[in-house]
Formats: sequence, C-alpha cells, structure tokens
Amino acid sequence: MTAVAALTERLVRVALRDFDLLIGIATPVATLLGLNAALRHIIDTGTMSYADYVLPAIIVQAMLLGAVTTAERAAWEQSSGFTIRLRAQPVSELAPMTARMLYCLIRGALALAAAVATAHLLGFRLTGGITNTTGFVVLPLILTLALSLGADATGTWLRRSGAGQLLLIPQLILVLASTGLAPADSFPEWIQPFVRHQPVSQITGTLRGLATGNAAVSDLVITAAWCVGLLVALGSIAVRMQRRPR
Amino acid sequence: MIEVSQLTKAYPGVAALSDVSFSVPAGSVMALLGHNGAGKSTTIQILSTLVQPTSGRAVVAGYDVVHQPAQVRERIGVTGQDACLDLLLTGRENLVLFGRLRGLRRRAASRRADELIEQFDLGDAAGRPVQTYSGGMRRRIDIAAALVAPPRVLFLDEPTTGLDPCSRRQVWALVTELAAREVTVLLTTQYLEEADVLSDSIVILNSGRVVASGTAETLKQETGHSYCEVTVGHPDDVTRLAAMLADLDGVEAVPANNTVSVRAVDGVGTLAEVVRRTDRSEVAVTDISLRRPTLDDVFLHLAREPLAR
Repeated sequence: MTAVAALTERLVRVALRDFDLLIGIATPVATLLGLNAALRHIIDTGTMSYADYVLPAIIVQAMLLGAVTTAERAAWEQSSGFTIRLRAQPVSELAPMTARMLYCLIRGALALAAAVATAHLLGFRLTGGITNTTGFVVLPLILTLALSLGADATGTWLRRSGAGQLLLIPQLILVLASTGLAPADSFPEWIQPFVRHQPVSQITGTLRGLATGNAAVSDLVITAAWCVGLLVALGSIAVRMQRRPR
Repeated sequence: MIEVSQLTKAYPGVAALSDVSFSVPAGSVMALLGHNGAGKSTTIQILSTLVQPTSGRAVVAGYDVVHQPAQVRERIGVTGQDACLDLLLTGRENLVLFGRLRGLRRRAASRRADELIEQFDLGDAAGRPVQTYSGGMRRRIDIAAALVAPPRVLFLDEPTTGLDPCSRRQVWALVTELAAREVTVLLTTQYLEEADVLSDSIVILNSGRVVASGTAETLKQETGHSYCEVTVGHPDDVTRLAAMLADLDGVEAVPANNTVSVRAVDGVGTLAEVVRRTDRSEVAVTDISLRRPTLDDVFLHLAREPLAR
C-alpha cells in the first residue's frame, strides 16, 4: 500500500510539472465555453439550454482524454529505466498500474469538477437530488477507469509513445458523431442509427437524465451494463498485460 | 553470497549466456569483465530477477532468483547502465520515493534521503530535477537510490561508463567504501584497470562464456604482462625488426599497424633492451612505448593459450 501511495504521489508530482493536470482541467473548461459560444444559437435543444445539453459530452470527452494520456504514460513507462528498476524492487507487479489508475481517477475527478463549475456559471444546476447527483459523479469516473485500463493495456503492449495518438481517433469519432453535441435529428439520415446507439450517445443521454433526475431505469441499466462490462473486460486484459512473463 | 551454476540464457537466435558458473563470497567485490554483448548485463538482469534464465541456477543472498524473487528483491540494490530514476523528480524526491518503495514510512524515508544526500555530496543538487544533473551526479544519485535500504548485495552495471576521469574516481572511492562495510558487490566493466583496482576477484566473459576467472593478481600473472610496442615508418621494416628481436619473449609483428610488440618481462629493462637494438639498426622508428595490457590483449592471449583455471 505504501508503494502504491508513493507511486501515485510521484505521478501527481510529475503531472504538475509536465502540465498534464493543468491540461486535464483546462480542456473541458475551454471546450465547454467554446462550444457554448459557437453553437448555443445554432443547435436546437428544445427547452434545455445548450450548455446544459452539451455538458455530459464535455465530461465524457474529458474522461476519454484521461484514458488517452494513460496510454501514453503506460507506454512511456515501459521503456523508462525507472520502470525497469522498479521491477527489481520488492513491490507488487500491479502496483505501478494501480498508481496509474489512481492518477487517472484524480485527473478525472478534477476535470469533472472543473466542467461542472464552468457549467454552473452558464446556468447549469444539478437538480436530481442526492442519488442522481451521486450517479452523475460516479458514472464518469467508472467510465474513465474502465477506458484507462484498456488504454493502459494498449500502451503497455505497444511500448512506445504514439499509443495515445492512436486512441485519439476513435474517441474523436465517438464524441463528434454522438447525440452528446447535437440531437440525432440534426445528423444526416444515413448516420442516425449509429449516432443513436453508440456508447457515447448512450452515456451522455443518461448523464443528462441524472442531472435533472429524469433518467429512465431501463436507460440506467443499459449505461451501467456498458460501464461495468468495459470495466471487467478491459480490467482483466490490463491485469494480464502486467502479469505476463518477461 | 552469490552462487551461479551453469546459467544459460537463450534469446531467439542468440545464446546470450552459456553455462556460466561463479561464486562471490560475502563482503567481497567481483567484477564481470567483457566487451559489449559479452553477457555482463544479462547476468546482472538474471541475478536481480529482471530476466528469467533459460536454464541453470542462481542463488543471491540465500534465495533462488527464479523461485524466490520477492526475497531476493528485498536484499539487493541495483543500478542499470542508464539512469534508472524519474528524471522529472528532484534527486531528493527520487530518494524518498525509493525509500517508500522499500517500505519506509514517509518520515523515515525523508531522513534516510537526507543522510544519503550528505554522504554522496549532493547537497546543492538535491532540489533540482535529475534531468539537469551531469553524468557523474546521475551515477552518484543512482547508486545512492540503490542504497536507500542497505542491501546485502549490490549490482552495479557499468557504473563508470561514460564518466569523466574525476567522476570515475569518485565512483571507485564509493565502491571501495561499500566493500569496507561488508556489502557484497557485483559490478560489470569493460576496463581491466577498473576491475583490477576495485575487485577481489574477476570473471572474464566473452560471447556469453566464462573464459577466465580468478583474482586480479593471478589473471595478471597469466595474461597481463606489460609489453613494449615499436612503431616503424615502413611496412617492410616490420619483418626486419621482428627478426632482430626474435630471441626476446613473446615477439609479435603486426604489419597492418606497422608495429612489433615484445612482452615486457623485465618491464623498463625490456624497453631499454629494445631501444638499444633498434638504435643500432637502420630501421626508422617512429615510436617506442611501454604499454599496459588492454582487455583486447587479455582476450587475444586467452584465445591463444588454453587457460588453467
């Protein structure tokens, strides 16, 4: 446990110096302000303000970006002398990965707080009561943890930087072609089935429901299944990557 | 303290180590001597539990490196060829981190870091990120990190490669000091001189095999005569000169280099004799020098003569 704490502290110190934490906090703030300024009079979101509508997508994107930096960090660590030396220390083989996951949760929590605080200034309010609000906070964190586990396995496997860039492409497509930025009706007809049913649309929809307390149970179940399924599947791959013989 | 028997490591297409055996008594310093690719680093990697051997057995501080790696890791310190620290953290932060990885509480780790900073004379640099350190300072902090929890066995992989002479002396002094404190040290080096100065015993590796082992003294007697090297101006003179020196010990002509070398059995006496003879001849000599054996000479010698272990 001391080892995990010490390694997590190390990652936080490094992230303060290479500005990763600052970027993690600034990105959702800048994206939310930018999109809101550019699109709030263009995209029709009915009675809901555009800031309220788009906030879940901003949060999901911040969680996805957190996973991307995890991939980059895991890849970089594989080739660093520090990690090699770490393997000759009396430390569990899962400790370095556990520390990376704790770091990604810290980064995710700070990004979430920054996004919500910015939205608050634009009029957003969490009105769903304590249970819904808890869901609104926990769901993105489970998502970033699950995706970071997958990213960690990818980075560990690729062993070189660029692992993160590779993951940027699917995350960009998933966020742009989702109902997170605009309702499905505003997309061309041929892509609408994909837009409606892909995971980012699913999760942003659920987050919107949790924010107001209007989430349907069936909707919650599907989203929870996505997140927990990803967590278990990607988690077991990530653990296996760390345990493979060298 | 270290027992290695019939250790073999095969990578696809390459035998990195074949049938390597040696032992290092507690509290002594052993040098693994060899060129790049001789198998030195592979040996260290196996003994420090980083790499699994293909076959053979290695016991470090009483524990098998394959079956009891956790116990081995608690008792060893390792430094690699490259700086094995977090370059973005300061020297002090690195030392505290490694202390905590060895199970020290934050305060104890912090106290230990201060001790090491003082002992290794890193006071001025301790608050700067390691990436700003010079090569010698990095090596020092690297060794300090390996000593955070005093190890029974310390592995130093090429601790002086790439260092300037002054930093090299500092590392040498450090190793000598550690040996005085009963730490068992296994180090690798490409320099015979370094092995000679630092170690109680030497194992010479070539292409993954042990080609010689013993104390520095015995190896020097077997292989290590200084020799007198004469460089001439014209290739034709090489054979002429070799003929003139033919009755001396270990004469070797190397026409490609325009040189003739003679084993300096009497040291400077041999040099004087060679000078006398070349002086009388009409051979145009451009240089005469007395040279200490290099690692290459030892290998050449070993390749020529089957060696009594």
